[in-house]
Amino acid sequence: MENPLITEPLFSIGPVPITAPVLGTWAIMAVLMAGALWLRRRLTSQPDRVQTVAELLVTTLDGQIRDTMRRDPAPYRSLIGAIFVFVLVANWSSLIPGMEPPTAHIETDAALALIVFVATVYFGVKTQGLRRYLASFAEPSWVMIPLNIVEQITRTFSLIVRLFGNVMSGVFVIGIVLSLAGLFLPIPLMALDLLTGAVQAYIFAVLATVFIGSAVEGGHAPSAAEKQESSS
Amino acid sequence: MTADLVQVVSILSAALAVGFGALGPALAEGRAVAAAMEAIARQPEAAGTLSRTLFVGLAMIETTAIYALVVALLVLFANPFV
Amino acid sequence: MTIDWWTLGLQTINAVVLIWFLGRFFFKPVSAIITERREAAQAELDRAAQAVATAEAERQAVQSDREAFAAVRTSLLEDARAEAKVERERLMKLAEEEAQSLRSDAEVRLKRQRADAQAALLEDASDLAVGIAQRLVSRLPEAALVGPFVEGLAGAVGALPAGVQEAIGRDGPALVRAPRTLSDTERQRIQEALSAALGRPLNLRVEVAPDLIAGLELEAATASVRNHFAADLSRIKAELITHG
Repeated sequence: MENPLITEPLFSIGPVPITAPVLGTWAIMAVLMAGALWLRRRLTSQPDRVQTVAELLVTTLDGQIRDTMRRDPAPYRSLIGAIFVFVLVANWSSLIPGMEPPTAHIETDAALALIVFVATVYFGVKTQGLRRYLASFAEPSWVMIPLNIVEQITRTFSLIVRLFGNVMSGVFVIGIVLSLAGLFLPIPLMALDLLTGAVQAYIFAVLATVFIGSAVEGGHAPSAAEKQESSS
Repeated sequence: MTADLVQVVSILSAALAVGFGALGPALAEGRAVAAAMEAIARQPEAAGTLSRTLFVGLAMIETTAIYALVVALLVLFANPFV
Repeated sequence: MTIDWWTLGLQTINAVVLIWFLGRFFFKPVSAIITERREAAQAELDRAAQAVATAEAERQAVQSDREAFAAVRTSLLEDARAEAKVERERLMKLAEEEAQSLRSDAEVRLKRQRADAQAALLEDASDLAVGIAQRLVSRLPEAALVGPFVEGLAGAVGALPAGVQEAIGRDGPALVRAPRTLSDTERQRIQEALSAALGRPLNLRVEVAPDLIAGLELEAATASVRNHFAADLSRIKAELITHG
């Protein structure tokens, strides 16, 4: 059986080895960018079906961000929304024959979680100022400083591992079942994989929102989602 | 022989990790679904919010089992002692 | 477990590029158009609300106009009613006054007529009394017409003030009126009585005046002493008229 934890380079451009997830990400990026450009050209004030779907997506996203952060969603919309769309499309790309989802490889998830981590620090410093952002680590007392720092790292790791584990396990299980039966039997598992992929994309986006929100709000009480996260 | 032993132990421990790691989340998911069903039966108009929250919670709980699976895969495929 | 750092770096760059691109070309325009349409809808709603407000204001203006008309009509009616009332009262007062004046006029006239009638009645009565007295006197003896009045005349002359007494008979004989021609004895008696009353001798000139009925009258320059029936009757008559 193929080792799911190791990615083999397909080819290399100069010194840079290009692996399958990078190639898949490029394909997804190309599709998304083309779709965005195509949609942008046909944006009118009289929305057709596609534009309505896009607007529904953006409106729902704004509502979610506003509910979670109680702030104007405009600065965070593109980050959260792009992460959600990319993770969703990447998770669902397992339906395409011969395509392995880029999120089934830990490097992609690590890259996304890294971006979320950097964005957390960036928005926290930008909104509160460096001193107050650093002071928020001493909440509720200075004893909690190491714990808070460790929490920043562990929650990023849990973000990585959650997405990676879910998608990778789905791919792996389907691979095993496929090697056993081949026909029809993987279909329910693929359906479950779709559901898991959508839910994981949603969870990834929500957790990113919660992290950024808690960094922006400073010493406020953590929301319910963050409690769930720290307990899992 | 030693390498064989390590492999045997690795497979055993991977199976144990997945088995016991799946135990807790299975119970937890059962309780969560039961509570959600009860809540929906009591308040059918809140079914949308409840089921959305249920799915998110289930995914969170399932993550624990996924952690165990990841550990098992690490033991199987990325064992540093093999 | 190994992590391919090249892949990690490439994926990070990819994700950043994707986030930027989608933010630039998808989320921003879509959000902008949503905002634009929401604002347009809001503007439309505002316009509609304004139209509704305008219509409402117009309706209220019409309503207030109608109310003003109604108020004017009511006040006109009130005025007319009040005017009519005043006019009626004035007319009633006028009529009342007229009636009052008519009644008082009638009363005055009635009173005057009654007074006239009474005066006429009294006149008649006094005439009747005079007539009765004349008839009665004519049945008396001739002597009785003069004789009993001599003493009374003398007494009255004696009661006159001294200045008046002196004036009697100073310029010639004093005039004495009698109802008939006096006899000599009667003339003598009168002369004696008057002389005694005055305390000096007095010449007499006698004049006949049947109006006296009975009695005597002494005429002097400044005074006349009447002691006869005619004077008594006229006094009674005057008293009757003033008291009647």
